[in-house]
Amino acid sequence: MTAVRKYWILGALAVALNGVAAPKTVMVQYRFFTGLAQMDGNWAALEAASDGKVYVGLACHGCNGHLVFYDSNTDKMVDVGGLTGLSGESGLNLGPQSKIHAKFGEGKDGRIYFATHGGWWFSYGRFATQEGYPGAHYMAYDPKTGRVQDFGIGPRYEGVNTGAYDPKFNRIYGLTHPRGHFVYYDVATGAKVDMGRMNNWDSVCRTLGIDDEGNVYGSFGRGGIYKYDPRTDSIRELSVRVPITEKGISLGRDYNKSETHWRTVVWDKQTRKFYGVDESATILFSFDPYAGPDGEVRRLGQMCNPDFANRRDVPYATLSLTLGHNRKLYYAAAGKEFDYGASAGLAASHLITYDLRTGKTEDLGEMRVPDGGLVIGTNSADTGPDGTIYFVGAISVTPDPDKQNYGGRIGGGAYRLALFIYHPQAD
Amino acid sequence: MKFQVLALLAVALLRGAPAYGQRPPGYDKVVVLQTRIDARDLGYAPVDVIPDGESGITSLTVAPNGNLYGATSGKRSHLFVLIPRHGYVQPLGVIPGATAVTHAVAVSASGDVYIGTSPEGHLLKYTPQDEDHQAIQIGKPLPVTDLGQAVAGERICALTISGNAVYGLTAPNAHFFEYSLHAGKFTDLGVVASEIPLGEKFEKDKMMSRMLVADGQGSVFASGENGAFFRVRVGFEKLEELEIHAPAVPGREPWTRVDAFLLDPSGVIYGGTSDGYLFRLDPEKLTVTNLGKPLNQYRIVGLVHGPGGKLYGVGGDEQEMARLFSYDPSTGAYDVLGFVDVNRRPYYTWQAYVIGAMASDASGTVYIGEDERISKLYLFYPWP
Repeated sequence: MTAVRKYWILGALAVALNGVAAPKTVMVQYRFFTGLAQMDGNWAALEAASDGKVYVGLACHGCNGHLVFYDSNTDKMVDVGGLTGLSGESGLNLGPQSKIHAKFGEGKDGRIYFATHGGWWFSYGRFATQEGYPGAHYMAYDPKTGRVQDFGIGPRYEGVNTGAYDPKFNRIYGLTHPRGHFVYYDVATGAKVDMGRMNNWDSVCRTLGIDDEGNVYGSFGRGGIYKYDPRTDSIRELSVRVPITEKGISLGRDYNKSETHWRTVVWDKQTRKFYGVDESATILFSFDPYAGPDGEVRRLGQMCNPDFANRRDVPYATLSLTLGHNRKLYYAAAGKEFDYGASAGLAASHLITYDLRTGKTEDLGEMRVPDGGLVIGTNSADTGPDGTIYFVGAISVTPDPDKQNYGGRIGGGAYRLALFIYHPQAD
Repeated sequence: MKFQVLALLAVALLRGAPAYGQRPPGYDKVVVLQTRIDARDLGYAPVDVIPDGESGITSLTVAPNGNLYGATSGKRSHLFVLIPRHGYVQPLGVIPGATAVTHAVAVSASGDVYIGTSPEGHLLKYTPQDEDHQAIQIGKPLPVTDLGQAVAGERICALTISGNAVYGLTAPNAHFFEYSLHAGKFTDLGVVASEIPLGEKFEKDKMMSRMLVADGQGSVFASGENGAFFRVRVGFEKLEELEIHAPAVPGREPWTRVDAFLLDPSGVIYGGTSDGYLFRLDPEKLTVTNLGKPLNQYRIVGLVHGPGGKLYGVGGDEQEMARLFSYDPSTGAYDVLGFVDVNRRPYYTWQAYVIGAMASDASGTVYIGEDERISKLYLFYPWP
């Protein structure tokens, strides 16, 4: 019996025990990251590049993260390498480069730009120490040569928790962890700049949005939005607010996770607006940065699994939002609190769409793979040049007693990272 | 049997595991005890606050009447007051011509507030007037009397009052100046550092203390090049280089500064260095005792008195994460109290990584000023 089939049976049994009708499902293809079964997470780091390659940053706590790509033209997965080695830090007994934790970006030169991040932080007991994490590296992968260029450490001792690349100004932007500084690397000049603090360590904004003029936007405070203008090299705090849900009394997740920012945004070239979801209740909103001096934010709906609509216990929003070529937003909503090994338990993700033309939200159903396995959760999404939607997340597997064939455990079961592939024409 | 196992598994799967998050409750073990610390926005949030980018607190001092005065650095400098009876921060205005005020707010016995500015290097006098009834108006200029530029071409980087004079240090050339409150006249008493120590290309500063301190007799102390102490004695308008030095690992003396000074009621002076050593200076015997390092970090950015004769300080440089510690002179024991963090979820949570100034008042409240793009004032209430 295959690993995924076992879990399909368990899922069916669970449904039967609850006396609930068979759920609506949506089928996605998947590809494992060959040879990298022990990778335990992926956050934001997914880029479907113009040449059909899909770049993924795989995280490994306490070990090396990896840069990989899936070549959609040849259906092959390629491991570019371990991040500590690519950073020139192998054998130095430093905290490893465990993640690419932020978005990639494709430059006008065809290179893929990104920055690295640390894994374990040990309650910051090793921050700025000899054995601690040395700091994030800014890097570029050149698909023509297959080589990575290391631009060196940017923020010292800190990782790039959140990031984005702007091809217009040829810069890698980032927000650091833990100190929440807005930083950037100017590829042309080599300048590494720290603009100062924006967030607290437990609420570093998870997505920087860049418009087509090269302005960079982030979320801070209690739903605030700021704008960085590369022309003036300055940050301005705007008066508009993300529609966050005020929680009142602190219970459960409130203590652990900030719910005061947007979780992710995507830029729509056509309307020249951002579309995003907030952290707390997956509220969908639009942000038009060109409407008036401070822009305009509009609440459009809610993108969580409809079972949670208007409830208090909406699972924390994922980073899995992308805009399809069909003018639909695609969002992979967690079925339970999802954060890989720190998830609340097994539940299927739902694929939710929002049609920008009609304003209609639709739940396409539980995300399942062809052999019946469920997509437990995802935390990145992107749209390929041909309109294919990609996610990276976790799929259930049966542990192999002879070798580690999984990245971690969720709800007593084992999971492995996978690239999920969805073709919107199937909607 | 197989069905039963599967059913149990299914139930377990449905129940799930406890949620884990970015801030686990265990993090509270590495921060200051949460019933002993709180934070204040610099004004009346969310609108009437000293703006981000202008809010780095780099000067704090307690006036004779118990009010706390502070100044910020950034795009503009602001003066603020916290009247303990009220407990909130009241911005008083933008300090003219200043983008930084670093350990350069001093209050005279009469209550006048003296401010040493950077980059213009002017000494300003602010006279508090009915602050209780002034509306907060962010951006209004602080009404001051400009007493002039202390040393031509120099910015003021530290200030204290002793007797009838204001004393200051300037940068970049490390002048020690005096301003006579009676005569209204500046006197340049000389320099505490004449050369930039040999270092890397990015090291461009002459080494001098980041604070000044007056002892019980009114003599004013600073540190200068090679960590040497300098003094201006009461009644002598003369700068002396003393034979005593701030503690340093041999070989690191050229880059040693005194970060913080504190006059103890016993008459001795405590201080902390850029390498993170605490020391005791006896101003009569002119001896220095190295008390060791409270933290595995650089710098002691502030040092104040607390109840029971203990000292409280914060260590950590601008690239680290600041930690609060205490020192008990009666036992010589240090306690590491943790990160300067306030967790009042769901209302607010904020951790200070860089501290710019500290002060304490007669009631034992310790004020800790954060020096970052977004900064808050922390109130720490030590226990006996």
